[in-house]
Amino acid sequence: MTDRIDIISPVNLAQLDHILEKLRKPATYVAGATDIMVQKSRWEQAGTLIDLRTVQELVSTLEIGPEGILIGAALSFTDIIRYRIIQEKFPILVESCRQIGSVQIQNRATLGGNIANASPAGDTLPVLAVLNAELWIGPRLKDNFTKMSVDEIMTGPGKNCLQPNQYIAYIYLPFPEPTDPFWYFRKVGQRYSMAISKLSLAVLGWKHNNHIREIRICAGSVSPRIKRAVLTEKLLSNQELNSKVIEKAATQLMKEIKPITDIRSTHNYRKSTAGRLLQESLSTWARAGK
Amino acid sequence: MKIQFTVNGQNVLLDVNPKRRLLDILRDELQLIGTKEGCGKGECGACTVFMDGRRVNSCLVPALQLPKSKIWTIEGVEALPIFQEIAEIFVNQGAVQCGFCFPGVVMSALAYLQEEHNYSTKDRIAHGMAGNICRCTGYTKILEVVQVLETHKKLRIGIEEIFKR
Ligand SMILES: Cc1cc2nc3c(=O)[nH]c(=O)nc-3n(C[C@H](O)[C@H](O)[C@H](O)COP(=O)(O)OP(=O)(O)OC[C@H]3O[C@@H](n4cnc5c(N)ncnc54)[C@H](O)[C@@H]3O)c2cc1C
Ligand code: FES
Ligand code: FES
Repeated sequence: MTDRIDIISPVNLAQLDHILEKLRKPATYVAGATDIMVQKSRWEQAGTLIDLRTVQELVSTLEIGPEGILIGAALSFTDIIRYRIIQEKFPILVESCRQIGSVQIQNRATLGGNIANASPAGDTLPVLAVLNAELWIGPRLKDNFTKMSVDEIMTGPGKNCLQPNQYIAYIYLPFPEPTDPFWYFRKVGQRYSMAISKLSLAVLGWKHNNHIREIRICAGSVSPRIKRAVLTEKLLSNQELNSKVIEKAATQLMKEIKPITDIRSTHNYRKSTAGRLLQESLSTWARAGK
Repeated sequence: MKIQFTVNGQNVLLDVNPKRRLLDILRDELQLIGTKEGCGKGECGACTVFMDGRRVNSCLVPALQLPKSKIWTIEGVEALPIFQEIAEIFVNQGAVQCGFCFPGVVMSALAYLQEEHNYSTKDRIAHGMAGNICRCTGYTKILEVVQVLETHKKLRIGIEEIFKR
């Protein structure tokens, strides 16, 4: 740590983009620092640090259009949880943010950090996947952000496809249409709220005349990447929810996900838990009737 | 890196390594040793302080993010007239033993009162206090303390004061 450390604290996006254009050495972004300061060797080696929390647009801008909302990537989970429109339109996101670490962590940690860190156990990732989130990546090229989805940005555990000078600027969430969907988010961890997920499941669904019009399902912590369970989704669409269909869907989900075995959990445990959570969610939905 | 911020309402000007943890700055540079280090990785809450009106783990705040921030530590809270009353409640409820977690738990509990405006269920308090680990007393005692604290209107008002400064 005797080497010189350069700190860059851009005040806005224009300045950030301008600095990145000229920067000739690899830089490390710092948002809430709750992941990076724990990754000791990476933290110690970083020679140039760019503080994203000083970039005005990334921490304060929540632009709302008629079709959706843009969330600044360096906004803390607490800011997201307290934002009224997010509470109204995306209760599933609020729930997943509330289940992250502790309030102390939520007060610092950011959505952009959760995505960029690319842990398969990142709690917001399955939720962003079912919300069809679109990531807006800077620096802007001819005034345009590069757009990608959550499953595109993650290339493996702890790996994302961003170039060294690229950063997540915004997370765009389209408002769920036309009616409020049924939603479900559950995480099964080791200890109340402090555990990194062993398994999580996010479900978002719409019914029409008692039939499933559309359903989106994504399990977290099950594979090196975050992928929607498209085969299970297909099996369920246009179906009427009854115990037989629910059973079939759970079996399909267990087939579809390919969990890894690690110190946190075994392959079989994860599979059966995923199936059980899906059953729980669909049974709740069948009873709720929305 | 030269940084300027406030601690317990006092101006601080320091020249530090930008990667230095707020925890170390408080303990080593400012001799505010009430803030403790347990795990050093955001899990135990022993290092909890307020930063710009919110509770954070000082072991996970790098110096580079301190400029212009407002930090409150247990020492700042101790100096408040309401502190005696808070400490008595902890002692009376049997929620302090070795005392190591105490500063962090107090900071966290006060922040909790400020975050929640209504009386809350035990579940909600458990969720709110999950970032503070106590090896001695277990959780029940701490949850009970928070329930008692919630009933003290005067405390709440006293606490609001710190969050404004
Ligand atoms: C005690 C504890 C408990 C935790 N519990 C949970 C939990 O329950 N669930 C969970 O999902 N996570 C948990 N985490 C992990 C962590 O808090 C989250 O992943 C958090 O969202 C990271 O955000 P951050 O802003 O703190 O990231 P940082 O540490 O600032 O950054 C993380 C990584 O992403 C990069 N980065 C940050 N922002 C951007 C950006 N906008 N563009 C490009 N790159 C960027 C950084 O360079 C770094 O590599 C926990 C962490 C701790 C310490
Ligand atoms: S020392 Fe900071 S949370 Fe344990
Ligand atoms: S009283 Fe000993 S750790 Fe809490």
